[in-house]
Amino acid sequence: MSEALIRYEPVPETPCVAAGVTISLAGPMQRFALRARRAEDLETVLKVRLPRHIGASEAGIACLGPDEWYLRAEAGATVPTDSGLPVAITDVSERSICLVIEGPRAAEILMSGCPLDLDNFAVGRATRTIYETVEVIIIREAEDRFHVELWRSFGAWFWIAITNAASH
Amino acid sequence: MILIHCPYCDEKRPEIEFANAGQAHIARPIDPSGESDADWETYLFIRANPRGRHHERWRHVHGCGRFFNAVRDTVTDKFETTYKAGEPRR
Ligand SMILES: [Zn+2]
Repeated sequence: MSEALIRYEPVPETPCVAAGVTISLAGPMQRFALRARRAEDLETVLKVRLPRHIGASEAGIACLGPDEWYLRAEAGATVPTDSGLPVAITDVSERSICLVIEGPRAAEILMSGCPLDLDNFAVGRATRTIYETVEVIIIREAEDRFHVELWRSFGAWFWIAITNAASH
Repeated sequence: MILIHCPYCDEKRPEIEFANAGQAHIARPIDPSGESDADWETYLFIRANPRGRHHERWRHVHGCGRFFNAVRDTVTDKFETTYKAGEPRR
């Protein structure tokens, strides 16, 4: 059935290449919003270790808040959801797109609209924050590579804003 | 831009990530139907509006998502302290 659906992306599939930075759309992936009072319950269900410190990320799982994690996995990945434990695991794959911002100017370009000090944002850190008026999740994958998760409907606006910043 | 210390993230974060959520330490009556109209009105609508030190709820809405309490000076807009929800008034 899925072959009959046409995938529409809110941003161009051709990367934006500017001096010192490249901005491109990441491929489809599976995303899960994880909520639980006790991290141990989620660990029992998912059979993985969860990062406990807010802002830490580990093996594709980011700790966003005291009871909230965000799991990203390759497209098609599944997780057990029927556990009987007091956890909430919700597939939010199509809610967001991911833009990859890469190059020596990556942090500088993101800071054009994000008030965090990304020069002092360690590799492996992940956080929810804001870019101008758009809520985003920023994950520092490497010294010069960030993943920016944002809701699809903000994609078109965000693309114009960030590529504009990149071209200056 | 003001930096606000989030007691859950345990770091100072930009003001734009936060939302004010009104006066803090207002407990919902255990038995609403046992309240007099005047007491219920006070609970629902009557709030302090001090010039100076004020206890407020704030939410790190574009961050960890949590509500917490803060003491802010309404004249200078300076945050004296912030602490987790459920902790005693400071
Ligand atoms: Zn926080």
